[in-house]
Amino acid sequence: MKFKADEIASVIQKEIEDFRGQIVTAEVGRVIEVGDGIARCTGLSTAMSGEMLEFSNGTRGLAFNLEENSVGVVILGDYLKIKEGDEIRSTGKLLSVPVGDALLGRVVDPLGNPLDGKGPVLTPHSRPMEWQAAGVAERQPVREPLQTGIKAIDAMTPIGRGQRELIIGDRKTGKTAIAIDTILNQKDTGVICVYVACGQRGSSVAGVVEILRQNGALDYTIVVAASSADPAPVQYFAPYAGAAMAEYFMYQGKHTLVVYDDLSKQAVAYRQLSLLMRRPPGREAFPGDVFYCHSRLLERAVKLNNELGGGSMTALPIVETLEGEVSAYIPTNVISITDGQIYLESDLFWKGIRPAINVGVSVSRVGGNAQNKAMKKIAGSLRLDLAAFRELEAFAQLGTELDKATQAQLDRGYRMVELLKQPQYGPLHVADQVVAIYAGAKGYFDKVPVNKVQETERQLHEFIRTEHADMRDKLIAQAALSDEVEGMLKKALEAFVARLASKG
Amino acid sequence: MSEKSSKHRPDTALEDPGALAVATMYARSYMTSAVQNGVTSPEEELNSLVDDVLLAFPEFEDLLLSDSVGRDDKLAIVDRVIAPKSTEFFANFLRVLIRHGRIAMLPMIQSVLGRLQEEAAGKRRVRVRSARPLSNDSRTQICDELRSRLGFEPLLQEAVDASLIGGMILQVGDTVYDSSLRSRLKELKGRLVEKALNEIQSGRDRFSHPEGD
Repeated sequence: MKFKADEIASVIQKEIEDFRGQIVTAEVGRVIEVGDGIARCTGLSTAMSGEMLEFSNGTRGLAFNLEENSVGVVILGDYLKIKEGDEIRSTGKLLSVPVGDALLGRVVDPLGNPLDGKGPVLTPHSRPMEWQAAGVAERQPVREPLQTGIKAIDAMTPIGRGQRELIIGDRKTGKTAIAIDTILNQKDTGVICVYVACGQRGSSVAGVVEILRQNGALDYTIVVAASSADPAPVQYFAPYAGAAMAEYFMYQGKHTLVVYDDLSKQAVAYRQLSLLMRRPPGREAFPGDVFYCHSRLLERAVKLNNELGGGSMTALPIVETLEGEVSAYIPTNVISITDGQIYLESDLFWKGIRPAINVGVSVSRVGGNAQNKAMKKIAGSLRLDLAAFRELEAFAQLGTELDKATQAQLDRGYRMVELLKQPQYGPLHVADQVVAIYAGAKGYFDKVPVNKVQETERQLHEFIRTEHADMRDKLIAQAALSDEVEGMLKKALEAFVARLASKG
Repeated sequence: MSEKSSKHRPDTALEDPGALAVATMYARSYMTSAVQNGVTSPEEELNSLVDDVLLAFPEFEDLLLSDSVGRDDKLAIVDRVIAPKSTEFFANFLRVLIRHGRIAMLPMIQSVLGRLQEEAAGKRRVRVRSARPLSNDSRTQICDELRSRLGFEPLLQEAVDASLIGGMILQVGDTVYDSSLRSRLKELKGRLVEKALNEIQSGRDRFSHPEGD
């Protein structure tokens, strides 16, 4: 194909001829002071709270504080190029982000500008960043499971589609890893994922993007990145932008998953913004409305009713604690907003229990209804058994002589703990989880040495997949442990144990 | 009046919005009480003091407006120097300003008073920025158009800005009416780029999976 220069010229010429410039009317103001990512402006007498504004150099801003004589504007971009006396004009629009299929597989900043060098994001759709969460009548209870692919979570703190489950823990306890595994496990489930990196190191974000790409998860994932080098306003808006992008799909009847990594850094960015705007500080110097800032964000995670398409948005907010202090301001706030939390402990992490989930204090308030029936049947007593095991273990450390039954209970407990360990980036299908936990709970691993449990589990999955695929398929299809399937499973496990014994 | 005040207070300089609000309050009160006291043109004395005295004798301005001179001393200066020459009403106004520590706002109050009186008379200032100096014809045309459309008597403040290329920008209060060639070219550029990008994207979509990255 050859291009003809005059053809192109004529197209442009026609475009110019058809161009009818309108007289542009706008409210304007002037910058009186600027610094630290915010500007104070005069004029703009009709500006609305939350309205998008434009500085004379094209940088966008947002009317944040409407005061008697001036308007406090947060600058969404480079504030070093804005000077005192610059003109600022209102746009009459709310701050919005591009949304749509074009964003899938892309890494964008909170304003929707691409950061991945794959060219502009071209989509005709956009959506306001701030959006009123669905009301009571527009929702329905959480019923469908969202499989994380992590045994300890799917068995004991199950997450449903439309739920808000907090991941909380100290630094370096594997919070992001759980979120990433969950995203990886959504492959081929039709769940669209949004990963919001807020106040993270640029290298960590790049690492996450690379892992998603390698595992083919980027095809159904949008990464919204505001690194710690970005100005505070950009970090503050990142979760709202991510929520807006997911909402677009949700209102089309699709299922979505949003990870906010992490909200404690977003709260810090909001604190900076509020203090610079001279809003009065409260506890830990956070502004009074930091609770509202998080609650209105997390309320947007819903399971819509069938008239609205039945789409859902599941939110996995992450909060980092200091020295396990969950009674600090932001952790208590977010714990009270969410429908449960997954609590990670560094002690467990360094003991080698990974994911380092403390099953005693981790809860899911609504996920039980959504749990896979088969899983519910076998994991029902798991939490209590583990708690009993912990007690026994503490008792056994005193060096007391134990009777046979107690010793057997202890041994099984050690093997269950071992079974709940899982390597990173290795999410398991729920059917495989059911098989493994069933085998552990019914004592099929009792003869396996504790340090061989993980390896044997891998062999078991391979055995089931290659030699008992029909049972596995049935388990997936029924999503429940019927007597028939249970019988097949027992037979398969007996065969496996026999094979292990013969190998010696 | 507006040309006079702009001599020592250019319109482009930014005023502290807080101070401006206070000055507006004083100017408005001065105007209202002048009406109640039967003073016909209160701005005359104020203008004369600021423009003829303070501007001509900067040392006197420093003395009267400076913070280093005490309140009682300033009151004494007003009593001895200004009060015998002025009306009692104006001298009282100065005394109030001195007592409240707002005498340094006198020039600002003067300019605000000018603007308030213009507004009371149905006039408003309109900033006109054009690429070339306005001809008399276009000036009257602009004034007529503004008068008929917005319903006030415009006072044009003209400025020439060659970077507009053509056309003009009118500003009434906080509202800007932009018909400059610069803005139109910018808009046209945006549209052409957007169209080209869409062409490229749709061309690419034809060969790839529509939902792929």
